[in-house]
Amino acid sequence: MTAKQKQNKEIIITGFGGQGIIMAGRILGRSAALGDRKESVFTQSYGPESRGGACSAQVVISEEPILYPYVRHPDILICMSQAGYEKFIVQMTNETILLIDQDLVRPTLNKCDSFSIPATRMAEELGRKMMANIIMLGFCTAVTKVVSLNAALDSVASSVPRGTEETNIGAFKKGFDYGLAILKGRDKKAVGRTGAV
Amino acid sequence: MLCNWGPHTAFQILQDKGAEIPPEVKMIRIPCTGRISKSLLFKAFEMGADGVALVGCEPGACRYGSGTAAARENTQDMREILGLLGLGKERLRLATFLPDDSEPLLQFLKDFCSDIQSLGKSPLALGKATKPEAESRELLSDIISSHDVYACQDCGKCSSTCPLALSGKDFSPRALAGSIIAGDLDSSYVKEDIWACLTCGLCYDRCPSGINFPEFIRDARQFFKKAGVDGREAHGGFFQSLMRAMSSPKLKTERWTWLPDNIKLDHKSKVLFFGGCAPFFDIFFRHHLSVQTSNIIVDSLRLLNFFDIKPALLKDERCCGHDLLWSGDQENFLRLARFNVDLIHSLGIEEVVTSCPECYRTLKHDYINYGLELKFKVTHIYDLLEKEIDKGAVSFKKIDKRLTFQDPCRLSRLEQKADLPRMLIKRLKGDRFQEMQDSGAAAICCGNSAWTGCDSFSKALQVKRLRQAHATGSDLLITACPKCQIHLKCAMEDPFLGDELSMEMMDLTSLLAKTICWE
Repeated sequence: MTAKQKQNKEIIITGFGGQGIIMAGRILGRSAALGDRKESVFTQSYGPESRGGACSAQVVISEEPILYPYVRHPDILICMSQAGYEKFIVQMTNETILLIDQDLVRPTLNKCDSFSIPATRMAEELGRKMMANIIMLGFCTAVTKVVSLNAALDSVASSVPRGTEETNIGAFKKGFDYGLAILKGRDKKAVGRTGAV
Repeated sequence: MLCNWGPHTAFQILQDKGAEIPPEVKMIRIPCTGRISKSLLFKAFEMGADGVALVGCEPGACRYGSGTAAARENTQDMREILGLLGLGKERLRLATFLPDDSEPLLQFLKDFCSDIQSLGKSPLALGKATKPEAESRELLSDIISSHDVYACQDCGKCSSTCPLALSGKDFSPRALAGSIIAGDLDSSYVKEDIWACLTCGLCYDRCPSGINFPEFIRDARQFFKKAGVDGREAHGGFFQSLMRAMSSPKLKTERWTWLPDNIKLDHKSKVLFFGGCAPFFDIFFRHHLSVQTSNIIVDSLRLLNFFDIKPALLKDERCCGHDLLWSGDQENFLRLARFNVDLIHSLGIEEVVTSCPECYRTLKHDYINYGLELKFKVTHIYDLLEKEIDKGAVSFKKIDKRLTFQDPCRLSRLEQKADLPRMLIKRLKGDRFQEMQDSGAAAICCGNSAWTGCDSFSKALQVKRLRQAHATGSDLLITACPKCQIHLKCAMEDPFLGDELSMEMMDLTSLLAKTICWE
């Protein structure tokens, strides 16, 4: 891998139309560009699937100007539906980090490092299923650190409908904390301390 | 303290011979060393002794058979308690002599005195014993009006819910309140019942006028205590003595020496774990109930470590004062409170975490209610755990038990946090969880509070409670307060009921610590 490629982070977010996939991509791109002062490009798929089937958002984040806006091999693949997962499975490499909603996606092959979160269920517990995308964003920020926490928080607050900032920030933090807890759990497992006793 | 039989004969021989018995020895003749309970042993220290020697007959020479064996257990337990308390084990010793052993007895007394001299004066210095003051009716009427007891409508809901009344005791909260208002303070009924109340708070929960009966009783006890009406303190008043002793300024307790090595602590942490008196309870009840309430402290610390929280401990932690406050000794309660608060402030602590519902209630509310200013927040460990577990990525191993839960009155009723332990219990993977007939804010007391008023009626109510637990078909009773464990365990040992009441008990923190794991 060349130095230039390393600086690029290519992200695909996929799910059903209506889950807020495009919104999540937009927020992610804005966080990188406005908060972290990096370059970012955001494209959304306009295929027939976006009329009610699988839809996807693609984000490229880089330290340098981005010359090609599409994602061929994602560094991070976020899947919130089984159809989306199956569509993008071919583009995954073994260095991709896969993030899934564990209640909506059942991974069929074990190609790369993956993290799962019950984002939709958590959103339901918070009272608004629509916020699953924000929870997923928080999770992604904690696990991959592709954008900084403050940049993401600012971007969430300025992108969601007015009046819902507080609940969305709450949802983001929920996902973020879950991500941190997952990482902590992995560290503990690595040193063989899974329990308290 | 010298047994009347063997060693007293030896002592008399020394006196007859005009032997040089060290002048600081104050001999008290007792019928048998086995009759000197732990509370009596401790009373000697409370009254100012620098050292106590319990001198009895050699094993096998005890006139009553088992006296020496009982003395041995009591002395061993008391020595450990003195160790934890920071007074030093060496200040208490048991020795046995035959009637002819006058010379060895003399040698023992000389050695003991010189050992005690090298240890120095006892650090126990108690506030002057409150002398019976002239009854100040004004104080009492202040107490009555500050709790607005006059608002009693005499509806009787309190009496019909009071667990003591329901177990057959001739006790009624409204009648007691009425008698006190009427000034009928000398009646044996009032003097008795003021100490019988469990202060469990069920009557307050039901009272349509919202009279805080438990707090009224608590404050009225201050008055009766001052008026010289003694509380019916359980266990010979040992725990009140112990807690009063902890209010001595010069005392340096050593209550953490027993902690396992693998607990991670950080003395610079801004989070402090307040343990409570469980280690003392365990030693005191070792030969009777063999409860292990210190596990609650260990398991709480393990759970904090599990979430990468390394708390500080108060090296010189003293009792929070709950039991003194609720048994009418406000003066020593305040002394304890000031020591603890000053110590916590001196460490720059921002948050105090505790697993004991009584410590929680006392630190969080009563310190402030009695005029202390706190620069830290007080958190019950369940709140902290619920928050951490809720972040996710944590799961629980299966428990092959059917669970039920005994509410602690201080947390579930007085703090109205009955939901909190249940949120945690629901996360556990037991076979199932079944509430008892009376649960949550309506739960029945474990049968005692502040070590006062234990009697056959409070025993009957414990039996009723344990029967409720069995009626759920559960085989593991979860508790959330060290005292619930102690009192329910005591009830399970009812000799007339045999094994009928016995049931496995475990504190919620222990159950969480044993089964929690990272996903």
